[in-house]
Amino acid sequence: MVTKLKEVDVVVVGLGWTGGILSKELAESGLKVVALERGAMRSTGDDYSLPGIRDELRYVIRHDLMQNTARDTLTIRNNPSQEALPMRQLGSFLPGEVVGGSGVHWSGHTWRWTDMEFKIRSNYEERYGKNFIPADMTIQDWGITYDELEPYYERFEYTAAVSGKAGNLKGKIQEGGNPFEAPRQREYALPPLTPILASEMFTEATKKLGYHPFPRPSANASRAYTNPDGAKYGACQYCGYCQRFGCEANAKGSPHMSVIPLAMKNPNFELRTHSWVTKVLKDSDGKRVTGVAYTNILNGEEFEQPAGMVLLTAYAINNVHLMLLSGIGEPYDPVAQKGVVGKNYCYQTGVGTTLFFEGRYFNPFMSAGGSNATIDDFNINWGFDRGSHGFVGAYNVSGGFNTALPIGYRPVPRGTPQWGKVWKAATAKWYQTAMSISAAGSVMANRYNCYDLDPTYKNAFGQPLMRMTFDYKDNEVKLGRHAAALVNDIAKSMNPTTVNPANARTQWTVVPYQSTHNTGGTIMGTDPKSSVLNKYLQSWDCHNLFVVGANVFPHNASYNPTGPVGALAYWTVDAIKRYVKAPGPMVHA
Amino acid sequence: MRSNSVRILSAVLLLTAAGLAAPASAGDAARGEQKFAECATCHSVAAGANGVGPSLFGLIGRKAGTVENFRYSPAMKRSGIVWTGQTLDAFLADPQKAVPANRMPYAGLTDASDRGDLVSYLEKATK
Repeated sequence: MVTKLKEVDVVVVGLGWTGGILSKELAESGLKVVALERGAMRSTGDDYSLPGIRDELRYVIRHDLMQNTARDTLTIRNNPSQEALPMRQLGSFLPGEVVGGSGVHWSGHTWRWTDMEFKIRSNYEERYGKNFIPADMTIQDWGITYDELEPYYERFEYTAAVSGKAGNLKGKIQEGGNPFEAPRQREYALPPLTPILASEMFTEATKKLGYHPFPRPSANASRAYTNPDGAKYGACQYCGYCQRFGCEANAKGSPHMSVIPLAMKNPNFELRTHSWVTKVLKDSDGKRVTGVAYTNILNGEEFEQPAGMVLLTAYAINNVHLMLLSGIGEPYDPVAQKGVVGKNYCYQTGVGTTLFFEGRYFNPFMSAGGSNATIDDFNINWGFDRGSHGFVGAYNVSGGFNTALPIGYRPVPRGTPQWGKVWKAATAKWYQTAMSISAAGSVMANRYNCYDLDPTYKNAFGQPLMRMTFDYKDNEVKLGRHAAALVNDIAKSMNPTTVNPANARTQWTVVPYQSTHNTGGTIMGTDPKSSVLNKYLQSWDCHNLFVVGANVFPHNASYNPTGPVGALAYWTVDAIKRYVKAPGPMVHA
Repeated sequence: MRSNSVRILSAVLLLTAAGLAAPASAGDAARGEQKFAECATCHSVAAGANGVGPSLFGLIGRKAGTVENFRYSPAMKRSGIVWTGQTLDAFLADPQKAVPANRMPYAGLTDASDRGDLVSYLEKATK
């Protein structure tokens, strides 16, 4: 039996960064908001505190903060000729499932994506001609500009306590920052974190080679901070447990300690945990959504929550899944190249090298998400000519550590046995004396990389699993080779005792961990024929449905996604405030 | 275990008393209030307001590890400390040295004059 509940103004599906921001802001604007979150309530004081939080078995191996694949997962294949099989354990990417979502276990890297991404097709066609972009590369302009998003980037950076050094203030290049970044109106919320030795060595080496290193901007508070909403941050203690852990010092910008507690203080807001949304409901003519159906996963009770407006703010993959399960928008068909929902799934690529320096002590157990240095000379630097290398996109390179765990982090030179006496001696020798340099690369949209509903496998609710079809294409392999050569050159210039060289990835597999930067599937754009959402992240099909997250990105850049995800959430807040006054499509197709 | 941590703390206290740090109450409480921003994400000076850390209301003269409804580490509960200007100063200088295995994720305030200011503020604000 399904219990029909009383209608509310807004139902929010998933309570991480985007759901948290929208819930807080819309409840403050006077709307009645109900948030439905699959996961449990978790707090710094009860759950992310010492000593329990520093438990690698619980959080890294057993994925305590992540989605449970026994309940729902994806099927995976590399191309349409294969049969997809269910991913029964998490590996390559780790979607979160608690109040706070993946915003609890991220590292904090916060970047501003620029018009290089938002106008990608126009940019490349203008500079290199129409034929430079391969026929199967389905990249397109986003329909939004950096200037439009700039104030919202700032809003998110100040909310999340992003520490960094501006490289371009109102058009003036700033010493010590990233000279290639787009102009910002204000400095970062906080100064950069203290660099670690590995970061200093990388900075020195890349400067010598003529590149432009700068401290990586990150939502790790470099000192105590109160954000514009009044949320209080502690200073980062460099404990080294960023990625996959909640922050014990409340120094990492996370929704569970900033926007969500503020929403919860507001009587207009209600949170229901353990609430699994199975479907978005539509009215008879399909022009509006009327609410959602959900199940309390603790006792199996089913509910219908009617709402004036539905916001999908779950993990990027789950937002797409819900759209497909609800039959909103035409599903994408890669063969006929028709339809839009599921189109342009993208991921990231990357290469890494480990450098071993006999006698240098790096203390890898002390670091923060942002204690690294980065170069963007081959990323948002449009001066880097891709023409002769024949690829679209970019990569950023960084040196240092990010969550080098005392148990799990075991750097040894390639060729060392993987167990036994020799391995033990090697790991004891090199644990302290190794550092890494890595490049994170973009992935361009391709007509065959996409999502749809699996024809065979079902989740615990009897619904089809989502099927992911993905592989690196020639473009990513070329980019990866360029990045590997550069990273190896930088490593060589630092004269290490020995080095594990970087190699380009040529094929994607679901293990081991690579990055939780899954993008696309319900992309934004200027035309309902080629996108699911308009520039305000409003559904072209149902005007009272907004879908927010990295699932709106038409392609994936080399940068981490959370900067634009947070900025677009604030952008959507303003759009919805206008929408409430005059409901209807905000862009006419 | 118990006698060990007490002994370490006593040693720290003796050093402090021997004049390595200025007497806590001589600090500048207004500056100390600014320093307290580093603590405020977890600690409140309001009565009963436990957050990530316990409420600091009524701190001076209180036995460590005794605020109701707060989950302390065993180390803090059996530390035997009574909070005074001096014991706070020693604890804040290096929390893990003063009470090994306590749960507070804070590396310590190394500057003695900053510490003096913070302790002066705490002496005033937690009454």
